[in-house]
Amino acid sequence: MAKNLSGDLQVVSANRLVDGAVVFFDEAGYWTERLERAVVARNRSDAEALLEHARRRSFDAVDPFLVAVSEDEEGRIEPLSLREKIRASGLTFAAIAAEAVRYA
Amino acid sequence: MPDTHFYRYDDFDRALIAERIDQFRDQVHRRLAGELTEEQFKPLRLTNGLYLQLHAYMLRIAIPYGTLSARQLRKLADISRKFDRGYGHFTTRQNLQLNWIRLEDAPDALAALAEVDMHAIQTSGNLIRNVTADHFAGAAVDEIEDPRIWCEIVRQWSTLHPEFSFLPRKFKIAITGSPNDRAAVRVHDVGLRLWRNDQDEVGFEVIVGGGLGRTPLIGKTLRDFLPRDELLAYLEATLRVYNRYGRRDNLYKARIKILVHELGVEKVREEVEAEFAAIKDSALRLAPETIEAIARQFAPPPLRAKRTRVPEVEALRLEDRDFALWLKSNIAPHRVPGHVIVTVSLKPAGAPPGDASAAQMEGVADIADAYSQGEVRVSHEQNLVLPHVAIEDLPAVYRALQRLGFAEANVGKITDIIACPGLDYCALANARSIPVAQRISAHFADLARQHDIGDLKIKISGCINACGHHHVGHIGILGVDRNGVELYQITLGGDVDFGRTAIGTIIGPAVTADRVVEAIDALVATYLESRRDGERFVDTYRRIGAQPFKDRVYAAV
Repeated sequence: MAKNLSGDLQVVSANRLVDGAVVFFDEAGYWTERLERAVVARNRSDAEALLEHARRRSFDAVDPFLVAVSEDEEGRIEPLSLREKIRASGLTFAAIAAEAVRYA
Repeated sequence: MPDTHFYRYDDFDRALIAERIDQFRDQVHRRLAGELTEEQFKPLRLTNGLYLQLHAYMLRIAIPYGTLSARQLRKLADISRKFDRGYGHFTTRQNLQLNWIRLEDAPDALAALAEVDMHAIQTSGNLIRNVTADHFAGAAVDEIEDPRIWCEIVRQWSTLHPEFSFLPRKFKIAITGSPNDRAAVRVHDVGLRLWRNDQDEVGFEVIVGGGLGRTPLIGKTLRDFLPRDELLAYLEATLRVYNRYGRRDNLYKARIKILVHELGVEKVREEVEAEFAAIKDSALRLAPETIEAIARQFAPPPLRAKRTRVPEVEALRLEDRDFALWLKSNIAPHRVPGHVIVTVSLKPAGAPPGDASAAQMEGVADIADAYSQGEVRVSHEQNLVLPHVAIEDLPAVYRALQRLGFAEANVGKITDIIACPGLDYCALANARSIPVAQRISAHFADLARQHDIGDLKIKISGCINACGHHHVGHIGILGVDRNGVELYQITLGGDVDFGRTAIGTIIGPAVTADRVVEAIDALVATYLESRRDGERFVDTYRRIGAQPFKDRVYAAV
């Protein structure tokens, strides 16, 4: 069962400077594309400290911010809002298959 | 094929664009090196059309007045393949958006664009944006004068205009040269409509203060008839009044439509006319030779009259139902006998509206070279247009478009949906648009059914900024976020046809995403049961009102 529906658990996310990709701040103080590696702050003061730390390490990331997440019993985390779910997992439809249609 | 029937850059244009790219390359370099903060860099990238969206940077490329050569379209395909993910999204402002550009590649992408005289300037920021026009310009049978001549004059005047680079908000101008407005001029900051008066003179009706977004308003006539040579002086006067009095204290009240609404069009007119009187005889008055020089660049292609009844076309019409439907919905009359305008539907059943792969773009470019004088247009309804096709070539064009997946006979029909990128891409959106459009499109995919339903415009926006023009859809759909749940508000009765421009009315509570298709089905069923001969959906709505539609929708969902 998911915990933290009130939004106490938070991770820090940003867009990577070089390509805009969605990234998360990990335990080692680096930016990773993998949400499961994100460090989870478990209360408000930890979250603020984490965000501050991430901002100091944001030379290769744009505008870090806090994202509310839930965590299940296996420790899997998932953003609470649809917007952040889409940021974390990508388009919700199949983008056009770029080379599927060739002009004959 | 060289670009011959519209404006070609001169040395001044090319030098200006080249300098901009060099500046931006240096700015990107400094940003990546950590010498510029994001706060410092953001306005610089935006003025070069580079946004940061949910998943990546997005490059918005200006397609001035929606006109492209085959050569330019091929280059867009090449850029999308080389610097993006091999596809692009044609927008409601006749632009192209590439959704996966890397920051470090952006200057190279802009340099590649410049090779074909294109850029991404004026696609962002509080300035005069890329000017839009009737996508049938230069070909339409009902046209009084090609509006692109005036779009180009406005483009040259407005590009990097120092006085108007920091307006209270963005400023959008649209121009039509036909009585049948296909450029939605009444819902722009300034709309210009060319018309001929009783003295047989051609001039502009100047419309001001239209717009969609948070406060949808229909533009009001500022000047009934403006001589053409006074266009720039009058625009300059209008922009000055806006720059002086437009609100800068509240983002949501900063567009000129709010100024017109608050001051009243009479007061705005008084101010504009006073400013205009002071400058109308200045260098802004357009000399006849200046107008002619630009007009020559838009000289129509030398088409000769051809057969209007072609046995091969008639035979295919009888044997292929889909071709017959395509002729009904995707073909418009051309000014030269024996020719037509073909709308290329970028709305195959169930596909993201307005998207085209690099291969599809190249395919359309090849068809344009072979059958349409090398010309392509982008419509604000997110389709492409082949403006000069001989009737005798229609079977070949149709088959070529079929191979691309772009021969859907649905232009103006229920699946010809306008949809903004929505929450899948856009940093401003509250709800998804494209998946909703896809579900409606898949549900109504049957072409015979679509043609039975007739003309019906569905427009979907993922937020109140209304990039999907939902306010003026016969059926408008607005995505909203209520406590983390996507809901969709439905409006009825919107229209952009000239003389009937209307903002749609919300019919009731928003519906959940999984009920949108049922709601649309209920609206269509109400229409089909109630319509009289020849009535479109919106005509029936106007006659019987909203109640029967509401009753059916809320019984269904």
